[in-house]
Amino acid sequence: VQPASARHREFEQLALPLLDALYNFARWLTNDVTEAEDLVQETFAKALRGFDSFTVGTDFRAWVFRILRNTFLTSRTGLQAKLTVPLDPEDDLPATVTWETPETLALASATREALQSALEQLPVAYREVILLCDVEEMKYAEIAEVLAVPIGTVMSRLARGRKAMRELLRGQRALSGMFGDSR
Amino acid sequence: MTCAAWNSRLSSYVDAELPSDEMEAFRAHAAQCPECASAAMTIMEAKATLRRAGRRYEAPANLRARVLADAIDSGRRNVVALTPTKPRSLNWTRWAMAAAVLLLAAGLFYAINFNKRAGSLGEFADLHVANLASASPVEVVSTDRHTVKPWFQGRIPFTFDVPDLQGSSFTLAGGRVTYFHQEPGAQLVVAYQRHMISVFIFRDTPQLAIRETAFADRSTSFNLETWTQDGLRYVLVSDVNATVLQQLAEMLQHPR
Repeated sequence: VQPASARHREFEQLALPLLDALYNFARWLTNDVTEAEDLVQETFAKALRGFDSFTVGTDFRAWVFRILRNTFLTSRTGLQAKLTVPLDPEDDLPATVTWETPETLALASATREALQSALEQLPVAYREVILLCDVEEMKYAEIAEVLAVPIGTVMSRLARGRKAMRELLRGQRALSGMFGDSR
Repeated sequence: MTCAAWNSRLSSYVDAELPSDEMEAFRAHAAQCPECASAAMTIMEAKATLRRAGRRYEAPANLRARVLADAIDSGRRNVVALTPTKPRSLNWTRWAMAAAVLLLAAGLFYAINFNKRAGSLGEFADLHVANLASASPVEVVSTDRHTVKPWFQGRIPFTFDVPDLQGSSFTLAGGRVTYFHQEPGAQLVVAYQRHMISVFIFRDTPQLAIRETAFADRSTSFNLETWTQDGLRYVLVSDVNATVLQQLAEMLQHPR
């Protein structure tokens, strides 16, 4: 058994480098500065308390992201998000869906602002999976661990999320076209 | 596989999630098929754009302080919780005494064997141990060299380049000011897996007369690397193996 302080330092060494990533994720989930800060602080506190149950050698990042997400889901904003986004059945879509190229091209050339606004509008269930995959660059298996769902579900949710993202961007472009904005 | 079949696997390819034989097969196919190659490229760009747009928020400085304060608080509580009842505290004392005796013995053995061979170099190992065991092993906590470098300005009488460790197996954990024979210097703390490496940087003065001969000594529990560069003396101390330490030394000697 290690002394508490050594265990502590070990925790800090693992957790502190993830602070920015956790905060970024929290901000995208909550859309609020104060809530995001509280969420991260609570996550750290919970993770430290539960650090003994963390198995050395397993994926610490997935473990701590999972704590943050679970904490978010039980918060008021999280509960609301869950209520307002009915998670549609995920089996009616093949797990790997092609990114239709012309639209993907639009996504690749979209401005940062357009992408951020589209991401904000996405239902939380899609937003989180896209953030974990494309922003945090987690493997499907890691995402499955964070979300506590099978890998197949990660893949279909990702496909749906990306599709929804492209549709939002297309909508934005149509709108800006209507107002004569050439961008 | 046909283009249509590949098309449905493109996003898995870009996410690097295809089985490795299929990853290879697609690369071979893309080398022959400009359509599939350009489709894959477009998706890669889309993913990269999204990654940049998604990294939008950075944790405010006070949040770092908040979570650290929390951790320290709970650390204190843990220490208190260890000594509530008499039998327990007796037990604890006995263990502490045994540990102290062991430490003393190890320390003596270490001091005799090490200082004999390596002169003042052993003192860096002491600094490494003492600083990492202190309540604040680092004074500036950051993985970002652009935060760590300016922090040292005005605190030490020289400047140095903090290496770019991005993409390597090393992570910058932070830094602190440290002293060696009354001379202020920098200590960078670099993490390698679960090991900590101290990078000491001092002005290369005569007081720092270090014999470079016996520093990779196998009979001690620490490995050391040292060299001078631009009038500065670098000393690396860690319990990682000598090869890993050399890797870091090379990164420091030849910054990208």
